[in-house]
Amino acid sequence: MKPDSRIGPHRSVGEERCRIFDLGSRLAESGSQDLRASVDFSRAGFRLRMGIDVPSTGITALIGPSGCGKTTLLRLLAGLETPQAGCIQLGDTIWFDSDHRIDLPSRKRRVGLLFQDYALFPHLSVAANIAYGLARGPERAGQVALWLERLQLQGLADRRPETLSGGQRQRVGLARALAPRPSVLLLDEPFSAIDISLRQSLRLLFQEVVADRRAPTLLVTHDLDDVRYLADRVGVLIDGELRQLGPTAEVFAAPTDAEIARVLGWHNILPVTAYDGLRASGGWGTLELLSQVVDRTPDVLAIRPSGPRFCMTHGLEVELVRVTQMDDYQALFCRLPDCSPLRIHLARSEPCPMPGVRARIWIPPECILPLPRNVSLPDSVPTSSAPSRGRRHA
Amino acid sequence: MMSWLTCSPAPLLLSLQVAGVVLVLFLVAGIALGYALSQPIPLRGLLDALVSLPLVFPPIAIGFFLLMLFGRHGVIGGPLHTWIGWDLVFSFPALVVAAFIAGLPLVVKPIQAAIEGSARDLIEVSHTLGKGRLATLFLVVIPIIRRHILAGLTLGVGRSFGEVGITLMLGGNLLGSTETLSLAIYNQVLDGNFDCATRLSLLLGLLSLGLFLLLRWLGRAG
Repeated sequence: MKPDSRIGPHRSVGEERCRIFDLGSRLAESGSQDLRASVDFSRAGFRLRMGIDVPSTGITALIGPSGCGKTTLLRLLAGLETPQAGCIQLGDTIWFDSDHRIDLPSRKRRVGLLFQDYALFPHLSVAANIAYGLARGPERAGQVALWLERLQLQGLADRRPETLSGGQRQRVGLARALAPRPSVLLLDEPFSAIDISLRQSLRLLFQEVVADRRAPTLLVTHDLDDVRYLADRVGVLIDGELRQLGPTAEVFAAPTDAEIARVLGWHNILPVTAYDGLRASGGWGTLELLSQVVDRTPDVLAIRPSGPRFCMTHGLEVELVRVTQMDDYQALFCRLPDCSPLRIHLARSEPCPMPGVRARIWIPPECILPLPRNVSLPDSVPTSSAPSRGRRHA
Repeated sequence: MMSWLTCSPAPLLLSLQVAGVVLVLFLVAGIALGYALSQPIPLRGLLDALVSLPLVFPPIAIGFFLLMLFGRHGVIGGPLHTWIGWDLVFSFPALVVAAFIAGLPLVVKPIQAAIEGSARDLIEVSHTLGKGRLATLFLVVIPIIRRHILAGLTLGVGRSFGEVGITLMLGGNLLGSTETLSLAIYNQVLDGNFDCATRLSLLLGLLSLGLFLLLRWLGRAG
């Protein structure tokens, strides 16, 4: 996969100098309202050093493990934290430039920020929360009524936040962020506190409301479904570095290293000791690969959990350790001969052996991606005595 | 007869006057300092240490240093006396300064803790929605932490009633002019007038009990 060209100049923020002014001159010509940021921020041993462009159309998502810097980036963009170095620019308006000592205060950036816990004002009603960022005037009440209607909050206008459900609070938070027509919308794990059964309907509503805006929208999450459903582009943030950025489908299909693959749901990472272009082997066995050009022997194979099947005659030998029934599939935790873990997902209708049984699993080559290593491999699989989230398959 | 005369209500009235003035000062300075100390401002650590100092430093020593500072030959008191002929020490303002310094940390700390504990996110939300610090203070911070403000004010005023060390040094314990309720009890004991000391002590105890009950009510209501 070709790397996203936009990532280039910003990744070089690490080269100590930001090149935002070069970008700025081009932006001024194009009249683009993209949000462009290159920041270097460190605190208490954590460092965030990255650049990103957020186009004014579509939704850009940032995904990464906890503590990778997602929320910190949002806070830097919103002006709630100050980077040690870098530039942040919306269109041709500079929000922050460390070299020229420009730091536009948060209140002047016109950022709509939806906090993870929504942070609604507890002493104000729903209507007053939505009205908070609106200028005083005759249109204010009309604007509030409009947003109450758009986010299906009619009838709740006079309620206090503590009397609302999680989904209602989220919608109030979103209405409050959107009502002042922000120049940038920043969303911090907007669905993490929502019941799973409600998430899908809220994602659809969210998509409807956000779709017709022409302002950069950045969603940070650790939920892959949020990204799949909502994002046009996705960036993978690991340890304070933006490691990959591109169209959502492309990034999910072709992570560039094993660590990114793991973040993107490629649960299985197997070390490779031998490779001949068509097959890769390790202590876990041998797997056939799609014929593809790989410059060098891959360090690991990333294997999708969906796709592998039980097979009587060939495939990797595994011991089934645990079966967990999920909402729409069953997750099988297996142990390979070298004790590497292997997780596969089967449809709930498919037959599945009992835990403890030895079997063979065939992994289609299209489910396998040879990659350079960039991840510490787990030592062992969860044992059968580990607590299970669902009932065991009988 | 002598005992009754020396047990006049003047110290009580003086203490109430001092409490009234410091209440207003606490309301303004306590909220402002509590808000400022919860924000990432320059020299925050130094300001925090100065405000908290009366909690750990002996009041009598603080009073002594203030006397050195504001006395006629002090760094601040000297120029004030020379230029405008005004003396702080041994006056009503000295009692106010003493009560203010003694009670300030008890007002500021609960406000600061409340802002840091429950209002920080909301302050940030307010900023992202276009509101400045002052607007955020009045629209968000004060309404949210109003019970903590009341609790802090109660503690601060209570402390001002019981203040002796700084008041003794800065106010001078002048009968009829800077003799607060606490100092009056001390003076009555020195004079051997235990009846009056008992009456005044009961009065001070009732005032403190009233403040304590108010504090508990605020805690429950919050």
